[in-house]
Amino acid sequence: MTHAGEDLLAGYAAGTVEAAEVWSVEPHLMACARCRSVLSAHVDAGRLARNRSVLMVRAALGDAGRVRGLLCRCGVPDHLLRLLGATPSLRRSWLLSVLGVLAVVTAEAAAVRYGWVRASGPARSPEYRDAEVLAPFLLVAPLLVLAGVAAAFLPTFDPAFRLAVAAPFSGFTLLLVRSVCALAAALVPVVAATFLLPGPRWLPLALLLPSLALCALALAAATVLDPRAAAVTAGVLWAVPVLLLETAHGPLPIVQAHAQFACLAVLCACAVVLLARRDRFEWGWTR
Amino acid sequence: MTLDVSTAAVRVDGLSRRYGATRALDGVDLALERGITGLLGPNGAGKTTLLSILATVGEPDSGRVSVFGFDPRQAVQRVEIRRRLGYLPQELGYHRHFTVAAFLDYVAILKEITGRRRRAEEVARVLAAVGLETRARTRIRALSGGMRQRLGIAQALLGKPDLLVLDEPTAGLDPEQRLRFRELLSSLPGDPVIVLSTHQADDIAAICPHVVVLLQGQVQFTGTPAELAATAAGRVWAAGERDERAHLAWRGGDNRWRHVGDNAPAGAELVAPTVEDGYLLLSHAAGWR
Repeated sequence: MTHAGEDLLAGYAAGTVEAAEVWSVEPHLMACARCRSVLSAHVDAGRLARNRSVLMVRAALGDAGRVRGLLCRCGVPDHLLRLLGATPSLRRSWLLSVLGVLAVVTAEAAAVRYGWVRASGPARSPEYRDAEVLAPFLLVAPLLVLAGVAAAFLPTFDPAFRLAVAAPFSGFTLLLVRSVCALAAALVPVVAATFLLPGPRWLPLALLLPSLALCALALAAATVLDPRAAAVTAGVLWAVPVLLLETAHGPLPIVQAHAQFACLAVLCACAVVLLARRDRFEWGWTR
Repeated sequence: MTLDVSTAAVRVDGLSRRYGATRALDGVDLALERGITGLLGPNGAGKTTLLSILATVGEPDSGRVSVFGFDPRQAVQRVEIRRRLGYLPQELGYHRHFTVAAFLDYVAILKEITGRRRRAEEVARVLAAVGLETRARTRIRALSGGMRQRLGIAQALLGKPDLLVLDEPTAGLDPEQRLRFRELLSSLPGDPVIVLSTHQADDIAAICPHVVVLLQGQVQFTGTPAELAATAAGRVWAAGERDERAHLAWRGGDNRWRHVGDNAPAGAELVAPTVEDGYLLLSHAAGWR
């Protein structure tokens, strides 16, 4: 057997030989232990160790979980998914809590609607039977969405907040990415739950604007107030009028045309404030 | 924006910061050159406040800071500082469900390293630097305190920063890990500006060519460790019995009392002062207990 020359093997180890020589030397290396031994002496051990470390890290980072893997295949950038992985309101435990609360208020409404328990007060909507049973749901659902968004942007919920501040990545971009995803993740079960409820068919859509307006209000308020105070303020500004309206006129006016216009106006105004004052989310110095 | 080489250092002028009635920093002036600067001071001296301001996380009430010629008050320049910064806060928060590799990957993204391959290379590099390469898959909550501290150091090294701000980096490290940490800092390529705070005077003596002593929010000393030790020359004695007139006295490993103060105890012999002796005398002079 003719063995490969020392220079050829050194060039092969360094990756400097021509492709044709690679094709000829590789089958020989497969069959020749002596040449493999000579080759090993030319391999840069440090480079090998570094490559091995990188491979181990890539393997460790590849353990992404099914949801992340699916989103990756759908074209969502890998680094975006990693940023979202640090959002508490996208964690399974949080989403299960949201589902739990929704299950309670939905089950109560469904129980009244289907006659398993008796409604506590007289019906006030001639158009929709048992509309009163919607009251707890309409109060709680947008607050659940708000809680998810607040958990996505409040520094209290980010243990690595200081690292995020000291990094060059835009704080506003990070806030928007997390908030929008938390909003979407919370809206899906909220809207799904409305299909199980009595009331008008447009109810699932009617909850979108109040939820969006409430979250935009919290974010806009956070450019002026402490973020935690901003979230609490938005929650109170939703809960108090809703309770008053429900007491006076029943739950449906909260999601009917006038309220929708009011929510749209709040949403637009807050979006303008948020854009104009977005530098307030570049935390740290000058804040 | 390019690095301004002519002012490639950190400058602090008249920095002050209050927390309610407490004055954390009181007119601090500093100039940090390339190399390692140790910040020495007791708890509450203002070290963490100063470092968080240098890291653009905290904000002073008054005063100016310039990092490589960039002014952190300007949004664009602040980002330029952050692009060159590695920061280890005193209390580093972790997403506890993250693995070691995922956490470093997350910080790498925050440092604008978005390419998947480059991120993996950077993570592998810093893991090897702190000796955690076999822990890439381990969840952070399963790490010991010392390992978490090494992970904190590793994240600060991501992106090969030009300015390393390390708040008590040796806290929680065992003696061997401290030695490895010293070796790591001394061998960092590119001669970055490194400023670290510590309570350990021997860390300062071992690796810091420059030392700054901060007491009650004011800079009490700047110089070399040898110069700090020299401030105690002629005021450190070893004796068989304790002398109550000494500012500080403690029994050493040789069972003799080491005295730091202005009065020589009876039968005492003068000994060579250390960085710790110089620091203790400065603290005493500033009225710190």
